[in-house]
Amino acid sequence: MKVITKKIPFSNPLTLQSGQTLSSFELMTETYGELNSERTNAVLVCHAFSGNHHAAGIKDGDKKPGWWDEIIGDGKTIDTTKFFVVSLNNIGGCHGSSGPTTISSESGQPYGASFPEVSVRDWVETQKILADHFEINCWEMVAGGSLGGMQALQWAISYPERIKKAAIIAASSKISTQNIALNEVAREIIKKDENFHNGDYLAQDKSPSKGLKAARMLGHITYLSESNMSKRFGRKLQDPENKMDADINYEVENYLQYKGEQFAKTFDANSYILMTKAMDSFDPARDFDNDLVKCLQSTQAKLLISSFDSDWLFPKEYGLDIQMSAIKAGIDSTYIELDGDYGHDSFLFYSDQYASALKNFLNSNG
Amino acid sequence: MDNKLQSIVLDWIPNHSKVVDFGCGDGTLLRILTEHKSVTGYGVENDPEKINACIINGVSVIQQDIDAGIQNYKGMGFNFAVMASSIQCLRKPRDAMKNILEVANECVITLPNFGNWELRLGILNGKMPSSTQLPAKWYETKNLHLCTIADFEELCSEESFTIKKTVYLNRRGSSSWLANTFPNLFAAQAVYLIG
Repeated sequence: MKVITKKIPFSNPLTLQSGQTLSSFELMTETYGELNSERTNAVLVCHAFSGNHHAAGIKDGDKKPGWWDEIIGDGKTIDTTKFFVVSLNNIGGCHGSSGPTTISSESGQPYGASFPEVSVRDWVETQKILADHFEINCWEMVAGGSLGGMQALQWAISYPERIKKAAIIAASSKISTQNIALNEVAREIIKKDENFHNGDYLAQDKSPSKGLKAARMLGHITYLSESNMSKRFGRKLQDPENKMDADINYEVENYLQYKGEQFAKTFDANSYILMTKAMDSFDPARDFDNDLVKCLQSTQAKLLISSFDSDWLFPKEYGLDIQMSAIKAGIDSTYIELDGDYGHDSFLFYSDQYASALKNFLNSNG
Repeated sequence: MDNKLQSIVLDWIPNHSKVVDFGCGDGTLLRILTEHKSVTGYGVENDPEKINACIINGVSVIQQDIDAGIQNYKGMGFNFAVMASSIQCLRKPRDAMKNILEVANECVITLPNFGNWELRLGILNGKMPSSTQLPAKWYETKNLHLCTIADFEELCSEESFTIKKTVYLNRRGSSSWLANTFPNLFAAQAVYLIG
């Protein structure tokens, strides 16, 4: 598999949905496979909340492969011998694209809390600019899970003529009240870290890593299903030699501590806040009298909407809601309910039913 | 669904219809209707393998239990519904019929006829009968509410479901004098256009 990782600068100003402008921006990208001469085999994959451009393969020095490695690769579901797969870190993120950790050209300091609010629509705009950069006129498919699925949906709405298929996985056209509430608790935990300094911790050479860790621990629980946690950890006691903390009793505690800590090392607190805000505010129907049917009316892409039965963060009713609106709007759309034991995170993992649906959808005639 | 049924539905369905096929199987009928009648079609199916076949066929499908799902399709702008050999598998066929006619103005229903002589002979033999239309053993069948042509037409008249067109098919899937004259005894399958 041919992999190219590249940071691409864009010098034109970008006006965001909030009305604020970025005078220029950079996108950290990774591509897999090769673009054919007609430029018709391109697939865009959009990352979820904490993902980044590194979607497949193992990088030197890494223990774990990219976030969708089970799906993307030579001979895999999204077959990189056939398709040219484009992945990127979205703006507002913290893995190389313009975001709160980037140095602002105006102040010479990291943006920090002053990085403008971003939205799913803004991400799609930058992805459209990226498509232009690659001279890709029409994506064969835009795919993503969770917040990534929201981007796929937004693509189908924003650029009907530039996308043939949208795979909207474990996503919704707006998140639940419960989900907003959980995001707010996570933000509160981060903001109350003594090192947060109203978001300007980088300028003060501080890091609100305790808050970020705790927020991630909370988030992590919501990504898993109750049954999966029970199966994996049950009520097993943690082996005393590998305790993250002396107070820990159970394996599940140790696991969350470990995951939270790892996350806090690689993620930025302001990005966490920006990303959750973008998720909260996503609601494309709002511009169409809150009518998702109207919103989908001009869509030309075929949709594949998939929900997972064990996902309680994005319950299947939300996927079905998009499907019913799509039917009302009369557009090609398929809805499937997949068995996935991992809860919301099921979209990251291969299963026969999931992979064959996605593969057959991608390879079906547009 | 065999070719004969396909051609009947093709004949009855108006061009550019918006169609929902409850129990759409692998989506073959919808694909054919899309190709020949330019319909906008959606299948409802609950079997993951059949759903996969629909995706391969390029047919839009919704994974859903039909019993629970039918009423969700009211007010969706369908003018045509199809329920091919599924009605007897439903938990509440009469309610399903009422709902379907609220989903679409017209619907095609196909029915395996439990009154067919072959099946009657099976019963006379003291065994649960089987046939081409009803091949499964009693312990494996998905059929919950088998009925005869006479039963079904009685229900339609009681509930004022208008039968607009009928085709009776024999065991070989073709129309015949016997099947048309004594459908309840000689037809293996009935196809109705109900409105």
